[in-house]
Amino acid sequence: MSPLAAWIDGARRVVRAPAILMGVWALTLIVSVPLAFALRAMLAQHLGASLAADTAASGVNYDWMQEFAEQASGLGTTFKPTIIGFGAVLDNASALLDAAPRPAVIVGAASVYIVLWIFMAGGIIDRYARDRPTRAFGFFAGAGEFFFRFLRLALVQWLVYAVLFGALHPWLFDTLYPRITHEMSVERTAFLVRVGMYLVFGAMLAASTMIFDYAKVRAVVEDRRSMIGAIGAAAAFIRRNAGAAIALFLLNFASFIAALAIYGLIARGSGRSALLMWLGVGAGQLYVLARLWIKLTFWASETALFQGRLGHAGYVVRAAPTWPDSPAADAI
Amino acid sequence: MRRLLIAVLFAASAAVAPSAQDADLRSTASAASMAGVMTPPLSPRNANYTITARLDPATRTITGSETIRWRNITARPAADLQFHLYWNGWKNTRSTFMRERALSGGNDDRRRRPDEWANIDVTAITVAGSDRTGTRRFITPDDENPNDETVMSVPLVQPIEPGGSVTIEVAWTAHVPRTFARTGAIGNFFFIAQWFPKLGVLQEDGWNCHQFHAGTEFFSDYGVYDVSLTVPAGWPLGATGVERERRDDAGGTTTHRYYQEDVHDFAWTTSPDYLVKTARFEHPRLPPVEMRLLLQREHASQAERHFDATRTTLKYYGEWYGAYPYGHITIVDPAFQSGAGGMEYPTLFTAGTRWLAPDGVTTPEGVTVHEAGHQFWYGMVGNNEFEDAWMDEGFNTFSTARAVAQVYEPNYLALRYFGGFVPWVFRDIALSRETEGNRLAGYRRDAKSDAQSTPTYRYFPSTGGSITYNKTALWLNTMERWLGWPTLQRALSTHFEAWKFKHPKPNDFAVIVNQVSGQDLGWYFDQVYRSSNVFDYGVQDLKSERDGEQYRASVVVRRYGEAIFPVDVLVTFASGERVTEHWDGKDRWKLYAYDRPSPVVSAQVDPNRVLLLDLDYTNNSRTLAPQGRSAATTWSMTWMLWLQDCLLSWAALA
Repeated sequence: MSPLAAWIDGARRVVRAPAILMGVWALTLIVSVPLAFALRAMLAQHLGASLAADTAASGVNYDWMQEFAEQASGLGTTFKPTIIGFGAVLDNASALLDAAPRPAVIVGAASVYIVLWIFMAGGIIDRYARDRPTRAFGFFAGAGEFFFRFLRLALVQWLVYAVLFGALHPWLFDTLYPRITHEMSVERTAFLVRVGMYLVFGAMLAASTMIFDYAKVRAVVEDRRSMIGAIGAAAAFIRRNAGAAIALFLLNFASFIAALAIYGLIARGSGRSALLMWLGVGAGQLYVLARLWIKLTFWASETALFQGRLGHAGYVVRAAPTWPDSPAADAI
Repeated sequence: MRRLLIAVLFAASAAVAPSAQDADLRSTASAASMAGVMTPPLSPRNANYTITARLDPATRTITGSETIRWRNITARPAADLQFHLYWNGWKNTRSTFMRERALSGGNDDRRRRPDEWANIDVTAITVAGSDRTGTRRFITPDDENPNDETVMSVPLVQPIEPGGSVTIEVAWTAHVPRTFARTGAIGNFFFIAQWFPKLGVLQEDGWNCHQFHAGTEFFSDYGVYDVSLTVPAGWPLGATGVERERRDDAGGTTTHRYYQEDVHDFAWTTSPDYLVKTARFEHPRLPPVEMRLLLQREHASQAERHFDATRTTLKYYGEWYGAYPYGHITIVDPAFQSGAGGMEYPTLFTAGTRWLAPDGVTTPEGVTVHEAGHQFWYGMVGNNEFEDAWMDEGFNTFSTARAVAQVYEPNYLALRYFGGFVPWVFRDIALSRETEGNRLAGYRRDAKSDAQSTPTYRYFPSTGGSITYNKTALWLNTMERWLGWPTLQRALSTHFEAWKFKHPKPNDFAVIVNQVSGQDLGWYFDQVYRSSNVFDYGVQDLKSERDGEQYRASVVVRRYGEAIFPVDVLVTFASGERVTEHWDGKDRWKLYAYDRPSPVVSAQVDPNRVLLLDLDYTNNSRTLAPQGRSAATTWSMTWMLWLQDCLLSWAALA
């Protein structure tokens, strides 16, 4: 199976399981809505009955935003102009690549979200690997079956990311970059150096993510219990199919960039009326759905490639779970 | 007598002097001024420097000698001479500059290599032919820091009597640092300022020669500068004044001779990487100015933006305050990471831009207007920047915002991402002159940090800028909105005319404002200048109750801050009726009650936002039909998208 065929097959598998896409979107809302309500309460309290709210309700009241920021704490400190439109995407991408710290409450929410993804991952990959409906019980059976295995995998994963963000990143950006650019008096050159370092760091992140993704895929498809073994098997698969695995990764990454570009074109700002602001919120949720679709397509296409290269599309070692009949049914 | 003088100046400035001049005379004067000659002299010229210096880029060393012809223009004899040796402030971490800089945070100077520090070493000094090298000593008039070597005192054999003159010969060597305070080198880029042994200012109460402080700049007398600089051949050079002579020397160097009369400092820059461009400013009522731009190659496409911003400054400052007389100006676009951007020197200033500089954002225009504007507030009106920095920085911040608003609106907010390299323009957020131009957010944060009347060098280093720049701009703009621009413009132009090429004190400005406005504004200066109290007015309560055929409305307005300012209170009724009350703002609160056939809708203190110093404008209004929850819902949903994107970014690694 070619990388393109795997990507198309993966995309098809995601489209054929819309409940999963809607499920992870709901999951994203479940984590984000409570915090949005908390922030709403802060904003409402600060605005009170002020006429400043009239302009804020139908566009940006930058003076008020700054007054709010001056007295904000915790979650409120993240309410800045950078949240508007495509600025939000740049802010988060930049923060990730520059390892910028976030408030504890945001780190906490992200941790909960990641743990929920770890829980869901088994069910999601199992559904895509079987390429046929597994129903809710099959999905959650897969999720439960692999949750603790993937938690063990996550320990290794977090260790690797700790090295990447805790050692490699500071070395690249706090030691090497200043050393290389110390006497550099041309901004364009310094920017190219930084881009180079983003590429190095990004490649390390991508390589790690790819190995852990295939480890999950192999764990599910081959019902592996040893996560160390799964990592080794994933690395072996990538080594044997390096061109295809990398090409597939780049295809998925290209779809991610395309989604960003489209969102960048339509999300220029917050809108200059209440209606436009709400349309912007709606467009934003479509963007979130696209991001989720891309994340799921990563897994589905990697599963398709793995199965395709082994010549058993849709084959999973572990038997499909069946809903147990009740004792009453047995008696009948 | 003083009042009479001010009245005369007021009349002169109102007439806009340049328009009254004969065109031919103006043309002749302009030709001379373009050569650095100012006829007749504009200043006392009591501190004149002839300097010869050589830069060795390889060792980053300057070897120099100077002849100073100094005249005592005070009524007291001078028993010693006091010199600034600014570069010793960057000699080690023990200087007063570095100690104060450490308080500001954000500068990890421990990482500097030994050769990235600076020093200036006076190797010989003679006064009136007498060798005084052995008598020189460092003094610390500000803080008794024994490790500070930024002020040198040389006792005199014979005091210099009032009106007396003396010739001083000084030789020195200096090491150019990796940039501190806009001065230094990176790669082949050199920006050299505050670089020569320079006399303090003798005043009636003695020498005014402060140590170098992290939060303040400079102060010196006007004079004539004749400076010869030797640098590698082929390196473009820019400096205060006009190049009179260029001579290629043996050994691959070139000596450039620059000359300027009636300035109080001299700075220069050289780099082989400069692009040199020129343009001209012309105006029907102002003298022409030749503009020379030393530009980084990667900013070649931004040349016209620099010229246009400089023209904007020369035009508006010239029309508002008085003409720029020098006939030439040099704009320096500093190298990336040089730290030399955004600084003023006589007839030369550093701007500052970025490789990616999108349209609709005032980079480089904002900093260019500001630093060009310092030619007026600092260059020509030479206040003491150690003690009263607000008189140039504040006046200029106000003027910058006003000039930018004339030409560069809408001016959008841009934030930078990915290590600060990639800009993104928020076209929903057009920055307003009143709040962003005057930097209200910074003032709000630091409002109580110091009273403005505290000598600037004693402001807390990390917050002093908010008091110097922001607060002044805000109270000047408040005056404009309250007294009207014509009155404030006349006050500023009268002050400019009265004090150009002199050293004004704060009270000199207050006297002129009172005179021009015809009011005693001492109470205002007591609050904005002599106090750190803050302004905050608000609507505490708003009620409307039906009482038969009428509605009984009550509005309680409150003064939450300590500072006092008269404000309007606008009350709006459902019928569309609007009532404006004038409150003197003195009491802590005031009740307004109304009986009307329709209910009250809203109340607003200072509806026209005259008082720009009000720290909390959100509480200035109250309505009985609040939109707070609606706005909070919309914005929390917008914020939720940011959060979801943040979660997805991290979950990509899960």
